[in-house]
Amino acid sequence: MPGRSPTLLLLRDELVGFARSKVMLVLWILMPLVAIAGYLLLPSMLNVRGASSSMLSATMFMSLIMSSLAGTIASIMVAVDIVTERNRKVYELFAIRPIRREAIIWSKFLAVLACVAIACVASIAFGIALDAIRGRAPDAAALHDAAKSLAALVGVLAMSTAGGVLIGVLARSILVAVILVLYVGQNLTVLPLLPSYFGVLPQLFWVIILLSFALSVAVVYGAGVVFRRAEL
Amino acid sequence: MTEALVQIEDLRKVYYGRPVLDGVSFEIRPGEVFGYIGPNGAGKTTTLKILAGLLAKYGGAVRVGGHDVAKERRQAHALIGFMPQGCGFQSWRTVESALDSLGELSGVPDDVRRKRIPELLERFDLLAARRKKVKELSGGMTQKLGLIQALLHEPKLLVLDEPLEGLDPPSRNLLKDILRERQRAGTTVLFSSHILSDVEDVADRVGILTGGKLAVSGSMSQLVSALGLPRELGVTFSQPPADTGFLAELGEAVARKPGEWRVRITDSADADALIHTAVERTLAGGGKLRQIGLVQPNLDDLFARYVMGAHAR
Repeated sequence: MPGRSPTLLLLRDELVGFARSKVMLVLWILMPLVAIAGYLLLPSMLNVRGASSSMLSATMFMSLIMSSLAGTIASIMVAVDIVTERNRKVYELFAIRPIRREAIIWSKFLAVLACVAIACVASIAFGIALDAIRGRAPDAAALHDAAKSLAALVGVLAMSTAGGVLIGVLARSILVAVILVLYVGQNLTVLPLLPSYFGVLPQLFWVIILLSFALSVAVVYGAGVVFRRAEL
Repeated sequence: MTEALVQIEDLRKVYYGRPVLDGVSFEIRPGEVFGYIGPNGAGKTTTLKILAGLLAKYGGAVRVGGHDVAKERRQAHALIGFMPQGCGFQSWRTVESALDSLGELSGVPDDVRRKRIPELLERFDLLAARRKKVKELSGGMTQKLGLIQALLHEPKLLVLDEPLEGLDPPSRNLLKDILRERQRAGTTVLFSSHILSDVEDVADRVGILTGGKLAVSGSMSQLVSALGLPRELGVTFSQPPADTGFLAELGEAVARKPGEWRVRITDSADADALIHTAVERTLAGGGKLRQIGLVQPNLDDLFARYVMGAHAR
């Protein structure tokens, strides 16, 4: 049996893999730069309707962009990765090792969640930096809102990534995985809101965030059970 | 008598309603090399994958070192080094990083890996490629890498699915040498192959799988004896005599190629006397002999008889 936790060993390998395949470069630097470029090149499209100072801040813009895209990116990334590696028989060499198969799934989930979450933080940081350079540095209230939206975003990311993991384990082809992510996986992010919506739980921000993480863990656990029983 | 390292009892597997394995049973003793052969679709890979714990739903019992592979998976896996057919590695991996990670997951300590990985790479002529990405390797090099990862943790049992596939003759000979070395060191080997001459070179015992059933298993002499193959004289002329009709007097004569004959003789026939007669009649007819003697059946012959016999049934 390995001396260190297999999940941590595999997580380390996944992060190294992302670094070597330039995924991190794209997520952490290229995407935020493209978003910033869009913000700078299209100011007329960013007027806030009815507001006296007309333009949306870069911080808010980056938060909006990330909340639209990050979940889908994470979900597709992890689903396609799992399907591709399974079809290429990569997991046979791991599954034959004296480790729990679920470690493979958990390492995928944690690696993608970490990468995309850092990309979100980097993007919002880019936005704050740009606002500061342009003399519109966000005040304490704005930073508090940004932090809350980041926490909410990470909760959504966790749900999306968990959904992507489950779809990756179940789907047999990349096309099916992508379709399921777009049509089904994204709707999973609504689930944490339902108890508050139906009055079962109070409509508190941190309740919803904790529920997001709890559901994510449950979905990944379920994906691990399916993967453990799967024929490779 | 030493307890078997591998025990497979009444193994059954169904895919989409079709039985792929139908009551396969055999044992492998420690230190034995067992060749597992059969036609395409016979169920060889399925058997090996069940043994390696990659397929969960099956009937029967499979034990390695006394551990049931379904119920005591991690204990069984600690004893097995598995090389699947067509090994897959993550595309971003280098040769060294792939082996390092897989070795670490197998529980090989850091200092042992640092020593063993270069040794194995050198043994397999892959040391120069240690920093190359796996996706840049040729098929044969990837095949060797697949075998190295199975050997890393020095398992008691090597389970190899078509280990010689895609290798050039020097690499095949190298792998066979390495398998023999492992056997001398006490490793048990179960491998499948379509290259029957290689199986015959290396295996102590052979199992022939056909139609999901183990038709026969045993050493070459046991297989020959079980099949009851007739004795044959092989006669090769470097210059055929004027009349080769005398061969039909010796037994049931069949020309395999120009100048090459097989003569089926009865069990009671005196082979030495027949050989003497063939030599005399060849020389009397102005011919020259290159080779004459009793032909030992090879694995190709046995395989054809068992598989064709199974089809005929």
